[in-house]
This record gives sequence, structure tokens and C-alpha cells, in this order.
Amino acid sequence: MITREEIIKRTNDALKKEFEFTDAQLTPTAQLRDDLCLDSLDAVDMVVVLEQQFGVTLRQGYDLRTIVTLNDLYDFIEKLARTHNK
Amino acid sequence: MDDSNTVVITAMGATSPYGQGVDALWNGMLSSQNCMHTVPELEALEMVNTKVAATVPDADYSFIPRKYRRSMSRMGLYACCAAQEALKQAGYDVAPNKLGFFMGSTLNSISVWMELTGYSQGAHLELVKTSDFLQIMNHSPLAGVCQALKINGPAMGGSEACATGLMNMGLGFLAIRQGLVEQALCGGTEEYHPMFSACFDIMQATSKNSNDNPSAACRPFDKSRTGLVVAEGCGLVFMESKKSAIKRGAPILAEVLGFYANTETENMAYPSAETLKACMQGALENAHVKAEEVDLLNAHATGTIAGDIAETQAAYDVFGPKLRINSLKGHLGHTMGASGTLESIACIKMLQHNTLLPTKNLKQVDERCAPLQYNAQLQNIPLNIIMKNSFAIGGNNCSLLLRRPL
Repeated sequence: MITREEIIKRTNDALKKEFEFTDAQLTPTAQLRDDLCLDSLDAVDMVVVLEQQFGVTLRQGYDLRTIVTLNDLYDFIEKLARTHNK
Repeated sequence: MDDSNTVVITAMGATSPYGQGVDALWNGMLSSQNCMHTVPELEALEMVNTKVAATVPDADYSFIPRKYRRSMSRMGLYACCAAQEALKQAGYDVAPNKLGFFMGSTLNSISVWMELTGYSQGAHLELVKTSDFLQIMNHSPLAGVCQALKINGPAMGGSEACATGLMNMGLGFLAIRQGLVEQALCGGTEEYHPMFSACFDIMQATSKNSNDNPSAACRPFDKSRTGLVVAEGCGLVFMESKKSAIKRGAPILAEVLGFYANTETENMAYPSAETLKACMQGALENAHVKAEEVDLLNAHATGTIAGDIAETQAAYDVFGPKLRINSLKGHLGHTMGASGTLESIACIKMLQHNTLLPTKNLKQVDERCAPLQYNAQLQNIPLNIIMKNSFAIGGNNCSLLLRRPL
């Protein structure tokens, strides 16, 4: 089972590569839209790179409005990964 | 013609194999600096004879915010830099309201397409990113630059392969003359991919006898020429009505006197002298300029056997044997969709400095080329009117006349 720490590391690595973030920007409470300035087009690409990263399907039932912070995103992926491994 | 209908150029921007900026382009050509090099991907292809290209030196484009850069392939980045340079020279920090933008390219980004093909090979077409798609639309560079520089007027992307840059200058000229816009950025952009070289190679249109000496690979009009060298870049000119330029006190770099375009209908790849002649004659008529008033024909002349012969024969029929003719492809290679504008920019510099750039690598004129006044040396001579030609595979031809401001 993938650990929370691994989810955070792999998510952050994927986001840094795709959106040119620095480590300092990727705090757990950072808001995707307001702090990291990800717009609707970025949100679509974020889904694609995270799906590639974790081999899961994020887009079905995915709603950016329910994922406000990076922590919310880690939670969402963790939940999906658990369901995926059941 | 009274001034109310006159169209002028007041600024220019260039990204070329010589680097960023109009100065780099002009100084590179003035000093006959070499910008051609062998391409490892071509060297690895046994059946492709040409191994040389001219590409834009690597640069850091991170000054363009990611929000805009994400939808730009390399040709979009080149265009953004050229547009910024032209706007700055025109005296604008941000694009003026209702600025028109006319720009296209031969193809879109092959590199990004190849990436997408990679996805599909793995049956992962559903993993295509929005930013990839936004980079490969036919008008991606046009749209991307509009977003980045807030160009809010009509933006249209004429796309006619090697004639794209000059065609878009013609479109801008017509749009200003007709009153659609008062000011416009016009030109073409292109990014290199070895596929260009491979395709022209199989058509027997590439340089193949100078792979060990890239600087001499492209030899327009020369007896020993074998073809073109593919290159890349972006050229943009800032056009406006003379009335607009005078009103805002903008220095005028050149006047656009006239433009004409026509189409070869007999063959997609081989131009006929008759059609090219009609194109040049059409431009003279549109500009109300007599053949003997033209000081220089800056030819399309890419260094292919058939193209150079047809163009010089057509020019001879229009202008006679006293015509001075040069080609800049020996310096720069064939920057495809950008060539018409990058070379027009060089023409404007030639007018400004009364300096005739040589046809680089011309040692002995092919006897099948018509007897005209060729030049292999840099010369200082009075230049007032230059005709610029651009002809595309597909048969799309155009000619435009530039004059030193009166």
C-alpha cells in the first residue's frame, strides 16, 4: 500500500515538473487556485499528469471545487489509491 | 498616391538562427557569420542526403509567464520574442487597442505532434494534455502571442508554406489600406524539425554536397548548388497607416508600395517562369511603380536547381538584364514560413544603410539562370525601392515592394 508520504512526494514532484513550482510553494495548506494560481486549463492537465503518476482515474467524479488545498488533493489521491487496491 | 492611403513599417522584430533581435540578424548577415550546422538526427538517417540546418540558438524563455508559455511550442516562443521586440520599437509596452495580427506558419509544431503520437502508440490518447492541444492548433502561435501581449484586434493566420511571412505582410497591407485596422503586426514563424529536411530531401530539393562545410551548404544561383537548407525563426513587422505614424510621431522605416499574389496551377512543386513573371508584374502595377525604378530584387531563390532558374528567367522578362538581384538564403537558410518577413526586415535594413548584402556562396552563376546583375560582395550603393519575392511549395506566389521613406 502506498504511504501518505509517498503520495505527497510523487504529487509534488509531478506538480513541480508540470507547473514549475518550487518546494517552498508546495505547502499542504496552499490553495490550488488562489495560492498556486492554477486555472481551469491547468486543472485539466493536473488530472492527466497525476493519473499518469499514480495509474488511477481521477477525472470521473473529479470536482476541483471540492479540492481546495494541496492537502485536499493528497486526501483525494490517498482515498482513490486505497479503493484501487481493494 | 496621396498619403491618406500610404502604409508604412515603423518597427520590426526577429528571432533567427543568428539569435534574438533584428540587430543580430542584420549583423550576422553583414559579417557573413555562419549559422548553419550539422544535425545529429539527420546524420543518423542513411537515406537522407542533407545533414545541415540553421536553427535558433537555445535561449531561456522563462521571462514569458508560464500561463502564456504553456500554450506555446518553439515557434510560439520565437513569435512572442519577435512581437515584443517590434512592439517595443514601435513605442508600446503593451499592444495598442485594436492592433491587428497577421501571422502563420507552414506546419504546426511537429515536435509536439510527435509527442502526442507517442501517447497514442501506447493507447493512451486519453492522456493528452490541454496544453499540448493548445500548442498544435493551426493558429496556436497567433493565439498564444495575442494572449501574452494582449493583442485584441483581428488576428488571422494566413498559412502558405514558404510564402507565409510575405503573404501575411500583404494581408496586413490590404487590411490597413481597406481600413479594417490602423496598425498590425504581420509575418511568419516556423520551428525546425528533421522531417522538413527529410521531405525536401526526397523531393531532391536539399543541399547535399556541402555537409562537411555547413557554411557553404546553400548557394543560390551558383552552378554547384544542389538545393536548400532548412532553417527556422520568426519575423514580424509593425505596419500602420502613414497617417497613424505621423500622428504619433513614429519614425518610418519603410513604405509598403504594393503587393500581389497568384497561384501556379500546373504543378505543386515546380514554379513556372510565366506565373512568377505575372506575380512580379502584378506587384509593380499594384504599386504604380515602373520596372526600371526597382533598384533590387530580393529573390526567393532558395538554392534549388529549378526554382532559381525559373525566378531569374521571370525576373529577366519583367526587368531586363540591368536588374540587380540577390538572395539571402545562403546566409540564413530557408526559414520557411518566416523567410518572407525575416528577409523583408533585411531589405529594410539594406534600404536604411544603402547597403547591398551579397548572395553568400555565389562563386559562378549557373548559365541556366538568366543574365542579371548578381552580387557576391557587400556593396554600398543607393537603394530606394526593393521588390521582395516569396514563392511556396503548393504554388502560392507573392511579391511586395518596399521603399525608403521619402
